[in-house]
Amino acid sequence: MRLLLVEDEVEIQGFLQRSLEEAGYEVEVAPNARTAEQLAIGSQFDILIVDLGLPDRDGISLILQLRDLGMRAPVLILSARRSVDDRVRGLEQGGDDYLTKPFALAELLARLRNLLKRNSPSQGEATRLHVQDLELDLLRREASRGGQLLQLTQQEFVLLEYLCRNAGRVVTRSMILDKVWGMRIVPDTNVVDVHIYRLRGKVDGAGQHPLIKTMRGIGYVLKDR
Amino acid sequence: MSSKTGKLPMHSAAWRISFLATIAFACGTLVIFVFLHQFVSSDIQRRTDAWLSGEVEVLGDVAARTPRDALYGRVVGEVAELAAREVPNKSTSKGSANDAVFFLETNAQRQSQLWVGAGDGQSNFEAIRRTKFRPDTPTDVQVSGFPVPFRVACLQLGDGSHVYLGLSERDELRVLRKLQLHFLFLWLLVVFLGFGIVFLVTKRMLSHVRKITEAASRIGHSDLSERVPATQRNDEVSQLAHTLNGMLDRIESSMHQLHTITDALAHDLRSPLTAIRGKLEMSVSHTENEEQTEPIVSAIEELDQLTDFLNKSLDVAEARADALRLTRTEIDLSRLVETMADLYEPSMAERGIRIRVSGESGVAVNGDEGLIHRMIANLLDNELKHLAPGSNVSITLQSRDDMAIVKVEDDGRGFEPEILEHLFLGRVKGRTSSGHGLGLAFVDAVVQAHGGMVEAINREVRGARIVVSLPLFPKEARHPVTAAVRAG
Repeated sequence: MRLLLVEDEVEIQGFLQRSLEEAGYEVEVAPNARTAEQLAIGSQFDILIVDLGLPDRDGISLILQLRDLGMRAPVLILSARRSVDDRVRGLEQGGDDYLTKPFALAELLARLRNLLKRNSPSQGEATRLHVQDLELDLLRREASRGGQLLQLTQQEFVLLEYLCRNAGRVVTRSMILDKVWGMRIVPDTNVVDVHIYRLRGKVDGAGQHPLIKTMRGIGYVLKDR
Repeated sequence: MSSKTGKLPMHSAAWRISFLATIAFACGTLVIFVFLHQFVSSDIQRRTDAWLSGEVEVLGDVAARTPRDALYGRVVGEVAELAAREVPNKSTSKGSANDAVFFLETNAQRQSQLWVGAGDGQSNFEAIRRTKFRPDTPTDVQVSGFPVPFRVACLQLGDGSHVYLGLSERDELRVLRKLQLHFLFLWLLVVFLGFGIVFLVTKRMLSHVRKITEAASRIGHSDLSERVPATQRNDEVSQLAHTLNGMLDRIESSMHQLHTITDALAHDLRSPLTAIRGKLEMSVSHTENEEQTEPIVSAIEELDQLTDFLNKSLDVAEARADALRLTRTEIDLSRLVETMADLYEPSMAERGIRIRVSGESGVAVNGDEGLIHRMIANLLDNELKHLAPGSNVSITLQSRDDMAIVKVEDDGRGFEPEILEHLFLGRVKGRTSSGHGLGLAFVDAVVQAHGGMVEAINREVRGARIVVSLPLFPKEARHPVTAAVRAG
């Protein structure tokens, strides 16, 4: 996967490039809009990360121009503004996504994966999910572990489904709040953690090896091996 | 706004102003006319009286000098007829001039001696007999058979006989009636014309004011870059428009400045925060040792709290300055509260707090989704942080008039009295509270930015109550059919 990172802050550039490469992306970096334009014309990218506050130009006008030049790759917009500007909203509806700084790396990676998935032809919705000995029947809304049916509430099932779909990858609390409850909030209490503890109590019974792992300070991961 | 343009002219200020002005004008002119009428009628009276007195004198003189023979009647009669031709204010329209004037002489026994005038003069004589005359002053005499009274002058002759000269007030009244009619016609014309002119002029003037009001309210609701319409003329209204526009220029520039500052502040703080967070996260994922990651993990958590604090502070500051940018959509508040309670229920249960939601369903508000979500979350965070185990939280949702009302009640210790007053000011927190104390200030800021209200009190029994009211999502937009029916 070829990724173009358009970001002028050297510090952010540095750690983003490293963690993106660790995640398996082939990263090209552009510190300003002019370089980004040249790079985008010169070669094909699968995905772009564009910071809105570029030194020489507004990020949105860069994206619009690249789209005019025929670029089809999805864009993840990074914004330091709190409120989402209408133009960003417009781009979001056009299939791109945005993330407000500061962000969790796990969330950045999750959004990149989502954008790439959205852009590739879907291979039909699965009706069953398997992670190790955990099995989810999406039609009957039932989950079982090692053949044993789990007594889950509707909400717990949705939460487990989200973890399963992201098995092996870290999901943050704000991602869980957004995807499972549909809320972009930052609670200063442990609301998400308690839901996870409850779920873990049902999924990881005594004697079974734990599937749901807490990544402290980052989020949670459902282990896939 | 559409209701404003569709209303009856009777309800407009222009109508009221022109109505009042016209009434004042009409009353004024009416008073002037009454004075004028009084003056004219008394002047006519005076002239009539002068003529009557003069003529009766002449006739008395003639009657006294003329010997009382067979010719007496003819001589005095001729003189009386001659006098009748010089009647003042006489109208030429009516047939014989004689029915307007009469001459009567009575002897000392007050019996009719000589009659000159229309008819046999019997009724005139009867009327005169009933009337008491004062010398030198003509008197009104109502004669049966005549609709209009006569003005009669009387003179006593040396032999005790009386001569009477009567003049019908018909012509005098006709003059006055004509005056009244002309006045009424002109008065009505001027009043209606005046009303029309005043109405049109004020309407025109006020329509500028209305345009200014509409533009100003549009500006208040959305776009600060818009300006109220100003006319070319240099009258009070256009001065108002210019003043408003000048004020808007200043507001817009200070608003712009505030946004620039908050954006710059946000940007300048966010970039380093992003870099620090990213690096910390990377080092956590590269360290296997639990003990080594512990301080890094807590640093990340503190960093997230710092970010949240930064966001809330900026939101509160912008909302206070009325500069919070809202992206409004329809939000189902009932569902939101329900979901939020589900989300918080496990954490509350873990702390031994019960939460209960009740109230109407389908209550929708027109608000900024992100801000409203965070506002409700803050209310519940607040309960979660301050309530002792065993407490109960109840959330009630109602719609009253055009407001949605969210009531959050608990049976905990309530607010400390000394902080209750400035609960929403920010940086205020109880002695035993954790956190940065911005939660309720944020709630207040968001609710006010949406045109709502927050109220916090201690309940009579025990515990605290926070009541948030937010404007409902306009029903017209949700049910266009009902709106159309109502308009029709």
